[in-house]
Amino acid sequence: MANQTNTTANLADDLPLNAEDERKIDVVKHSGLLLIACAIGLIANWVGTGTSPLVALPGMLVLYVACIIGLGFARFVPFYLPSVAWVSLIAILITIPGVPGAAWVSEQVEHLNFLALATPALAYGGLALTASEFAIARRSGWKIVIVAICVMVGTYMGSVVVADLFLRLGQ
Amino acid sequence: MTGKPGAATGGLYLHILVLAIVIVCELIGIQRLSIGLGTVIFLPILYAFALGILLNPAIFKASAKFLSKDAVRLSGAMITVAIMPFIAKFGTTVGPQISKIIEAGPALVLQELGNLGTILVAFPVAVFLLKMGREAVGATYSIDREPNLALIADKYGLNSPEGAGAMGVYATGTLIGTFVFAIMPPLVHGLGIFDVRALAMSCGVGSGSMLAACTGGLVAVVPDQKDIILALAAASNILTYATGLYVGMFVALPLTEWLYNKARPSERKTA
Repeated sequence: MANQTNTTANLADDLPLNAEDERKIDVVKHSGLLLIACAIGLIANWVGTGTSPLVALPGMLVLYVACIIGLGFARFVPFYLPSVAWVSLIAILITIPGVPGAAWVSEQVEHLNFLALATPALAYGGLALTASEFAIARRSGWKIVIVAICVMVGTYMGSVVVADLFLRLGQ
Repeated sequence: MTGKPGAATGGLYLHILVLAIVIVCELIGIQRLSIGLGTVIFLPILYAFALGILLNPAIFKASAKFLSKDAVRLSGAMITVAIMPFIAKFGTTVGPQISKIIEAGPALVLQELGNLGTILVAFPVAVFLLKMGREAVGATYSIDREPNLALIADKYGLNSPEGAGAMGVYATGTLIGTFVFAIMPPLVHGLGIFDVRALAMSCGVGSGSMLAACTGGLVAVVPDQKDIILALAAASNILTYATGLYVGMFVALPLTEWLYNKARPSERKTA
């Protein structure tokens, strides 16, 4: 309620506009938080798929190391690429057939369900929403809700139509 | 504020609460609801997000007793940390499918431009149907995730009408995006018109949760294509990370500005 007196600028203070801040992240602190996230991920995978955390542990360790290296690259490489992009590239590289150990890595991460690994992030996401974000959503009103749905449908369907067209042309 | 006593316990409560939410949601598991058009898919990530909101201290006052402002802030930092193992797992699906990815290369690259479809669909609705002002520029030029929002903040400031539009879509997308992206792809697949590879590679819109929802929904309706769905979605998401900001900066935003000036010539800014 107190937020009603705030200006839009104040509301914006809590928004995640820190896309560039990865240059300053503390890799050591993040590796600790990442350990917690991976542990919760293992349990999510256990409950969701029945795979014992011990069986899935080697795969999770590989993912953990890939994340740490990705964070380090985002922090220390002189040009900017988000850490998630680095993490993706590393993960792709270590699973390309022919790369030493690729078959083993693929086999180990197969024990991890991709969707179960996303569940903890969404739980944090729900808990992380601030009063400001609820206030912005409320204040923006029903028009913005309609526009937001059109934006999501448009973004997705635009890609689907273009992709489908070029897949057909390529055949 | 990190040195404040009690901050560590607040963090502990946060992680325990998240663990509890995760266990409950994974126990419920994926649920399907068949409707005339196709199948509506409900995913554990949806329940997790909904439960998170319900227990959010800003909504559920009792939570504020053990989740401090610092814990909420930590939760925000944990989103980007917790999504990383998921992104890494996603990446590992690409390597084994690399030849199929290269085969689909042109479609994969060009569908990035398909993201401009937001302007095609949302801009006319905002400007002509809902009679919105310059908010429409910020709201409809992109899917308004973090990098896009940063671009608007940089160019117009968040205090501007454009900023308000972008923030509105950002906040709404944060609240309902996972839901929309879990429901829409299986229904579009149900139409039977589009190649499932096209549906998969369009999942990469630059948001981890939307990516998870979109691929989760598709895999639930086409389980035998799981490997290629994951690989294509992962590849397109990386492309969006790499190109999204630049497409927004050099194509989408100038195009939306131009369209707005054409649609409302009387409001043309002198700046």
